[in-house]
Amino acid sequence: MLSQHSPAVFQEEFQMTFATSCFSVLPFGMNGIGGIGGVSIGWRPIVALHIPDGFLNLPVIGVTWVISIALIALALQRVQAEYQDRTVPLMGVCAAFIFAAQMINFPIPGGTSGHLLGGTLAGALLGPWAGSLVMAAVFIVQGVLFQDGGITVMGANIFNMGLIGTFGGYYLFTAIRRSLGRNKLQSMVVASAVGAWVSVMAAAFVCAIQLATSGTVPLGVALSAMLGWHVLIGIGEALITVATLTFIWRSRPDLFFHPPRRSAVSVAQPYSVR
Amino acid sequence: MLLQIGPFTLDVDSNRPTFWQSLMPQTRLLCTLMMVMAIALTPNGEWLTWGIYGAGILGVLLTSQITYWVLLKRLAVEFSFVGVVLLGTLFREGGITLWQWGIFTITTHGLTILGSVSLKAFLSLVLLNFLTLTTSVPALLHALAALKMPPLLVAILASMYRYLAVLIEEFSAMRRAALSRNLMNSRRWQRLVVGNMIGSLFIRSYERGERVHQSMLSRGYTGIPRMAAVPQSRHRDRFIVILTLLFAALGQGIGWYGGGLR
Repeated sequence: MLSQHSPAVFQEEFQMTFATSCFSVLPFGMNGIGGIGGVSIGWRPIVALHIPDGFLNLPVIGVTWVISIALIALALQRVQAEYQDRTVPLMGVCAAFIFAAQMINFPIPGGTSGHLLGGTLAGALLGPWAGSLVMAAVFIVQGVLFQDGGITVMGANIFNMGLIGTFGGYYLFTAIRRSLGRNKLQSMVVASAVGAWVSVMAAAFVCAIQLATSGTVPLGVALSAMLGWHVLIGIGEALITVATLTFIWRSRPDLFFHPPRRSAVSVAQPYSVR
Repeated sequence: MLLQIGPFTLDVDSNRPTFWQSLMPQTRLLCTLMMVMAIALTPNGEWLTWGIYGAGILGVLLTSQITYWVLLKRLAVEFSFVGVVLLGTLFREGGITLWQWGIFTITTHGLTILGSVSLKAFLSLVLLNFLTLTTSVPALLHALAALKMPPLLVAILASMYRYLAVLIEEFSAMRRAALSRNLMNSRRWQRLVVGNMIGSLFIRSYERGERVHQSMLSRGYTGIPRMAAVPQSRHRDRFIVILTLLFAALGQGIGWYGGGLR
């Protein structure tokens, strides 16, 4: 268990864990030696979406950085206006939550493992602005501290998973949920499943376009590899997102960004033992 | 310092008495960023440029008394993941065909791109691992603040860093509980239990955020993150930043000149 390790062992284990989410497919996954663990058992390939340094060219890097900086600046402004003095503790803890949730590898169809990207989840629970700010904070920490995703391409990673994954996932989730009935669990389940799967596929598609535009990987290879793998990753993402949101819907529906309008909302006692 | 708590000790070699570790954290971060930018943005096939950069990086590594096996272990794990995707860069049209089997064709152009992207990714990983080995996380956050990252964002990053270990420990406790109840036996159950655990973790995190907010208010927090005074750069730090910039430009210049001669 992580908490039982000495700092040195913990550090190595932690490092290993983060290396599992580089943008790649491995014939032999690292779960056995480094995953937080046990959620996926045995040696399996792991697939994720973080681009390393050196894979994108200057124009793609420049455009995605400009968009990402604008997104972060706007998100900071909106979140500060909405949450005021709760911004720092709440966003910090929620970013730590997404970070911890992304460390959990889960089995996906086809014998591989994936980890949650969490864009639709963050959007559904925190809203598009706070969700994308939290995702951006996660990518900054992952890139700067754990070399999980490059520094020069951080703008692209934030663009793909913070903007497309979170904003796209949130608006799709909201549109489907509203059209099927905002207060029904079934509509939330359908909306979160579709939102999560489509957001992952869209992020993978844009990532493939970025790689091809940069001249790193031919478009056909990039599209078939990225979309082929992320069809499965998206299913895993959808299943975990649905399970997570259903749990929160039943336990603390008031924590949704757009909570269901119910006559009797069950507000449970604090769950934390601390 | 910005943070007194250190959940993760990534900086194994931050206290060595060498020149690199004596530089201000923002100087180290800025020099690393400039070099990573120069490496990553060098056009494909500029081997001489990467050779010069590699020699410079090797020189800094050798004089900084870092623990090499930790660096190598981190690099091996990280690069193995980057390595597989690199294969996608190999099979492409263009240049002289060196090998063909069905639809798979290896050409000189494909090899050039594979080698270039591999070198860029490798050198960038070496530099970034070197930075985190020699600079503590609080110092890195200080450096981000000194480099004019918005204080609110730095405060969120600091708050996130502070609670990472707590949440990971909390998740581990939930996982132990699920394992002890034999809830992780089938894949279907695994996904359901993981979903429930993540949901539970969010509820606990959100409530923790509220409690942290209350305790911050009780200690006089007014909504404006207070950053500790960031030490100003010294002449030596400015000199090193300029030197790094010149070194990056020199590599690009020599590569460009070499390309012109070819």
